[in-house]
Amino acid sequence: MLGLVLRGLATRKLRSALTAIAILLGVTMISGTLVLTDQIDRAFVQIFQAGNAKIDVVIKQKPPFENVQTSVYLNATIVDQVRKVDGVKTADPFIQTEGYLIANGESLNSTGGAPSFVFTSVAEDLNPYTPIEGRLPEASGEVAVAKEIAAKGDVAVGSKQQLATQDGIKDVTVVGILQYGNGDTSLGGSTTVLATLTDVQQWWALEGKASYIYVKAQDGVSQGELKDRIRSALPQQDLIVQTGREDADEQAGQLNDLIGKIIRYALLAFAGVAILVGAFIIYNTFSITVAQRTREFAMLRTIGASRRQILASVIGEAFLIGLLASVAGIVLGLGLAWGLGKLFGAIGFGLPATGLILSWQTVIVCLAVGIGITVLASIFPALRATKIAPIAALREGATLPVGRFAKFSPIIAVIIGVLGIAGMAYGLISSGSTTGRLTTLAGGAILIFLAVAMLSRYIVRPVVSVLGMPIGAVAGGVGRIASENAARNPARTAVTAAALMIGIGLVVFVTIFVGGIKASFTGAIDSSLKSEITVSARGFGGTIPAAVLPAVQGVEGVQTASPVGGTAVQIGNGGYALIGIDPTTLPDVYAFDWTDGSDALLGTLGTDKALVESKIAEELKVKPGGTIDVLSISGAKATFTVVGTYTDPTILNGIVVDQPALKPLLQSNATGLNTIFVRVADGTSVETVQAGVDEALKQFPTAQVQSNQEQKDQAASGVNTILVIFYALLALSVVISLFGIVNTLVLSIFERTREIGMLRAVGTTRRQLRAMIRWEAVITSIIGGVLGVLLGILFGWAVCKGLESDGLVFVFPTSQIIIFLVLSIVAGVLAAILPARRAAKLDVLAALSYE
Amino acid sequence: MSAEPEAAPVMAATGDVVVATDLTKIYGEGDSEVRALDGVSVSFPKGQLAAVMGPSGSGKSTLMHILAGLDRPTGGSVLVDGTELAGLNDQKLTLLRRDKIGFVFQFFNLLPMLTAKENIELPMKIAGAKPDPEWEATLVEATGLGTRLTHKPAELSGGQQQRVAVARALLSKPAVIFGDEPTGNLDSKTSGEVLDLLRRAVDEFGQTVIMVTHDASAAAIADRVLFLRDGKIVRDAGRLSAGEILDTIKTLE
Repeated sequence: MLGLVLRGLATRKLRSALTAIAILLGVTMISGTLVLTDQIDRAFVQIFQAGNAKIDVVIKQKPPFENVQTSVYLNATIVDQVRKVDGVKTADPFIQTEGYLIANGESLNSTGGAPSFVFTSVAEDLNPYTPIEGRLPEASGEVAVAKEIAAKGDVAVGSKQQLATQDGIKDVTVVGILQYGNGDTSLGGSTTVLATLTDVQQWWALEGKASYIYVKAQDGVSQGELKDRIRSALPQQDLIVQTGREDADEQAGQLNDLIGKIIRYALLAFAGVAILVGAFIIYNTFSITVAQRTREFAMLRTIGASRRQILASVIGEAFLIGLLASVAGIVLGLGLAWGLGKLFGAIGFGLPATGLILSWQTVIVCLAVGIGITVLASIFPALRATKIAPIAALREGATLPVGRFAKFSPIIAVIIGVLGIAGMAYGLISSGSTTGRLTTLAGGAILIFLAVAMLSRYIVRPVVSVLGMPIGAVAGGVGRIASENAARNPARTAVTAAALMIGIGLVVFVTIFVGGIKASFTGAIDSSLKSEITVSARGFGGTIPAAVLPAVQGVEGVQTASPVGGTAVQIGNGGYALIGIDPTTLPDVYAFDWTDGSDALLGTLGTDKALVESKIAEELKVKPGGTIDVLSISGAKATFTVVGTYTDPTILNGIVVDQPALKPLLQSNATGLNTIFVRVADGTSVETVQAGVDEALKQFPTAQVQSNQEQKDQAASGVNTILVIFYALLALSVVISLFGIVNTLVLSIFERTREIGMLRAVGTTRRQLRAMIRWEAVITSIIGGVLGVLLGILFGWAVCKGLESDGLVFVFPTSQIIIFLVLSIVAGVLAAILPARRAAKLDVLAALSYE
Repeated sequence: MSAEPEAAPVMAATGDVVVATDLTKIYGEGDSEVRALDGVSVSFPKGQLAAVMGPSGSGKSTLMHILAGLDRPTGGSVLVDGTELAGLNDQKLTLLRRDKIGFVFQFFNLLPMLTAKENIELPMKIAGAKPDPEWEATLVEATGLGTRLTHKPAELSGGQQQRVAVARALLSKPAVIFGDEPTGNLDSKTSGEVLDLLRRAVDEFGQTVIMVTHDASAAAIADRVLFLRDGKIVRDAGRLSAGEILDTIKTLE
């Protein structure tokens, strides 16, 4: 039987190849993703291990609660205690913060969203950085810079430059050019400047503080031994003592959670879509080939093959195709990972080169998914092949018997659809974990896709009747034949179209979803902000110096400059933003959307009352009159009485208190100021005032000044980048579905060889024949495109409605939808190229005598 | 060597619709060379129903394919309604078949998803032409398919399907209709219906029909019967009875 399977595959090369491609592309994506993320993972570990190569023990502050992005600091003076511990050779406080060099007027900050680091310089025997030119900074006003910055800004040792700090621009002298460990310094486009401890403490308001204490052991003292000794010398519960190795692994793990895993799961999700589309195509191809081979199977049955052997031969064929496609996919995946690595580098998000890693897990996952899906998709067609009676071998035009469950399939489809809708509804409105909700949401969507694919065979005929008229008008007789061909096997056309439907559906969905995010932000700016200009902190988690506020207030034409600050707090088990506002100026720049309360409440907040955003109030189950206990990132605690609730999931999304109430909860380096809303006096030009604010804030490079439109544009451009990435990833699924159309057409043409011979004999030109096949493809792709657009709109609408309280707005993307429909027609035309050429090349006489 | 006609055509010739001169068709090369046609010259006047007979491998199908522009000869010339086929590219040959030639195949070759009426109109639709409604009505009447026009081929008997195929060939009033074993897939009763229709096409509508057939009773309705063997015309007779035809075939085998 194996011999027969192999011979079968060999004689149906094109068909087998097209089927294999359907699964190959999905496997390629899985393999590429796993290889790439393994590479990222290993790169992170290498970087942090190289960084900690000289460090034996690390001491750090334990944050009061987990899952915070804000840095926490320890008391730097404990370094004196550490230095006294037996076995310590060197111990130095270390601070990690954000800032950048301004060389010859050019800001040398990071690219691609990576941080711009400023580190304190520690003793040479602890320092992960080594000067390749000059030396490490020692005196105040000295800095050393990474070699990439030096090269980019043409910075020479000994030159006078400027450093952007939280306290404004400082004059510095570059005394050294550095490399990290023994190689590259730039991780994901980040930049690094080293300065002295006292300068950093002063310029970032961190007097007496440090991020970590780095410790070097004396010779003969192991990391573990030293760690234990320091631990007993520093019994404070809020301090963490780790070996250098443990710290490196932890940091690599954290960064990997933040970047590597997100990349991994996002890419795998899209690979999953590609695999799903591939499964449809494999199912369809096997259904068609089993039907075409009815007589062959019947003949095998007459000469004594058992049902089991027939089943085994079809599944064996699927297994082989799956195996070959998976192996090819794994190899191509290595190429994909290599290419993606290059692409990241090209867009300024360089990954450290570690070579491609093909782990055995990758191989197993790829083989299991590739072969598993192919075999799974072939089971139903294989079972139908076993139903063929031996007598069919003797009958002219014997057809595959209808399956036992065929008459129940609409009912099954409806049940699957209802389950899918239930899954989506649960995912949208339940209050379970995010992962659980996303999983049910995705599962629901897959079930709905399946149900629609199963039911869409019933719409093929009506759609063809509608499309047939215009197509007949444009293409004449061949248009009519094309329409009829598309409709003659509705199940086949429907499944082929369904593969395209999935890709188009998700494209439409992400368009609506991302558009909703964009609209929620721009809508919030339009409806909530009365101010025209916003001053905010550049980079993440930053605050702006207190001196910025008076500077802005002093600008001519500024009517109101209202400061807003905040800190991360924990309430119950959840993390929230505690927002400090100025009650006298806020109403002039911001319009509250009250659900319970009024602007009059603002003046009564004092130090113990708070306003809560309505969705958060719901999560915390508090109403006006209730109280909330907050734990700040600084470790301080406070209790507030809720006096009012309002809705704003975008701008003031948190718990609003009066500024004096915020102050005691801030970390020592925080200014309690991160945003200033600026309202321009009536009759004054916004542009003029903005230019004035820009000028006034020249000394404060960490503060950025934006008009409302600029804020919207910034948000839109970030969101658009994500959209482009989504489109690129979904394009793969669309391409796979094109192979599905190609495959179905090739198989159908094969089936209709004699008809094609007749058509050519009675005077159909090659051009007309190609047009006929093109129209059939276009009808299929229109069905797929229209169903996809409808489902995409449905999903988009459901998710936007479900997340309405998070600010998501449903916007109907009319122009994009028109573009997607046109694209699906183009897809059909493209898919028809190869089959049309094959059909047109058929020899008329050979085709006429084809059986 | 081609045989001289034994009898003049029954109907007065107003010109030859199909003229073949010194046709050869060679497959393969060297030792494996097969001469399917070996210098065949033959003309078919307008309004004649001709049958081409011969044993398997005699070249009768090859001759018909070449005359109908479905295959190209190795040598010689074919004129169809005054047009020389040699040198026509695929596009021009296709258009010539569309405009001047009708076909009736052994396996009917109807499109299963189209109705009988749509199948009849198919070649004209492909050509982008409008069928003449009066002519179509006449044909439908002649085929006796009046009540079956909206049926799909699967709902028609073999004889009905082949009558649809004949109507399809007749609708565009081609210069010549080629039949490739038109009764080869039918029983004797339905064969008779189809042959009657072909006979009427010639007698009432003045069509020219050339058919290849194995069936002596089919050839017996022809005005002229050609016998081929080894790529040559060995007998070119006028109307023959089925018995005479069978006798001739025996001498050929």
